[in-house]
Amino acid sequence: MSYAEHPAPSEPPRPQRGLTREERGRDVSDAQAEAEAESSKWRRFLHMMSPRLVWSMADGYPVVVKQFLQFCLILIYPGWVFAVLVGGLFQLLFYVTVYPVLWVLFWPMRNHQKKHHPEEYAASQAKFAKK
Amino acid sequence: MGLFSRAGGVAVTMTPDVVRPRQTVTATVTTDRPVTKVRSARLDWGYVNFYQYHWAGRVDSVAAQANDTVWTAGQVGTNYGGDRDTDDWVSVVVEDLPIATGEFTGATSTLRIPSWAPASAPEIARWECRVIVDREGPDAESRGEFVVRIGTGDVDSYLEPLERVSGDGETVVDLVPSKPVWQAGETVTGHVTLTPTVDLPDGDVAVSWQRERESHPLTRTPGPGSQLDGRIMQLDKHIRLQAGTPVHYPFELVLPDDAPPTAAAVHSSINWFVQARLMYEGFGGHSLERVRRPITVVNAP
Repeated sequence: MSYAEHPAPSEPPRPQRGLTREERGRDVSDAQAEAEAESSKWRRFLHMMSPRLVWSMADGYPVVVKQFLQFCLILIYPGWVFAVLVGGLFQLLFYVTVYPVLWVLFWPMRNHQKKHHPEEYAASQAKFAKK
Repeated sequence: MGLFSRAGGVAVTMTPDVVRPRQTVTATVTTDRPVTKVRSARLDWGYVNFYQYHWAGRVDSVAAQANDTVWTAGQVGTNYGGDRDTDDWVSVVVEDLPIATGEFTGATSTLRIPSWAPASAPEIARWECRVIVDREGPDAESRGEFVVRIGTGDVDSYLEPLERVSGDGETVVDLVPSKPVWQAGETVTGHVTLTPTVDLPDGDVAVSWQRERESHPLTRTPGPGSQLDGRIMQLDKHIRLQAGTPVHYPFELVLPDDAPPTAAAVHSSINWFVQARLMYEGFGGHSLERVRRPITVVNAP
């Protein structure tokens, strides 16, 4: 929306507005940003187990709450590593067992897309190649 | 004697209590008895801006993502951080009041409401004039409230561009309200035009209004903002969508009587839209088309 007419010369200036969440961009800790910047999946996986990343989850909380959360994060750290390892194992199992089946099952559909919608197919391939 | 003397009661009266941009409002400050030992006194014109912020923690941290997963699994109550409603004072004009011999007995001041003033509404702003008397001992403070209403003549009237929210554009959906500015409680009229680019399965089209509240605080971490959709009006079902054959539908949508006007303040904004969505029948892999066009809502004629 814009306001009608130009402001009068004596009018107080309009105060500057802030930025929305989207305009500010992602709000993550340095440790998490570092992990997300990794292009290698293996290195990203290792970063997920880094004590620094787990510790950084308390960032942005007020004093005392932050220290309490860091204390709790230290306590659950072995559990966190275990959960990440189990998650990784399940992912590995999925890619070894279910994924090849789905790959074969959806081959006709992929082939159809590749033949009839080559641009969309290329865009989709490019999109998932980045992940 | 001075030890137990209390600051005199200060009151602020606003005239008129309902104003429009570019109109003048007068604040009259009165005291039940002279306020003594005064160092300075000032009037602060401005508004209380309501918005939402993220109170603590990183918005996109791993913990937040994990929490979202747990929350969607039905574990209600695991609100690790959360977004809170709050408000902040936005000062527009500060005026020092003359003090003679350390006594304050009252004052009068006027403000011409700026053309950019956000409207008064519980969702965005409450306009006030605050008086602060700084003295040796407890300060005397008071405030007077007034309402800013935005009328059709206070905003520019032009049709803003259409925004495509989702869809592949297989059907070009155009949504045109009959005018760009609407008053709260009014019935928004217009028409929707569907122009398929290829032969498509039959579809159904619906429209509704949408109110978007954005938070953009200067210093705090912003809240996610919120969207409120009005009642969905189904315009038609089983519409034949043939390539190059446009289909027109008129629509009518009633805005709420208490609709907060379109406004842009320092920490938050209110935006209004009319939106249309087109769904295709069957499972042919055609994605839902959704478009919206900004409109301006005012709360005065």
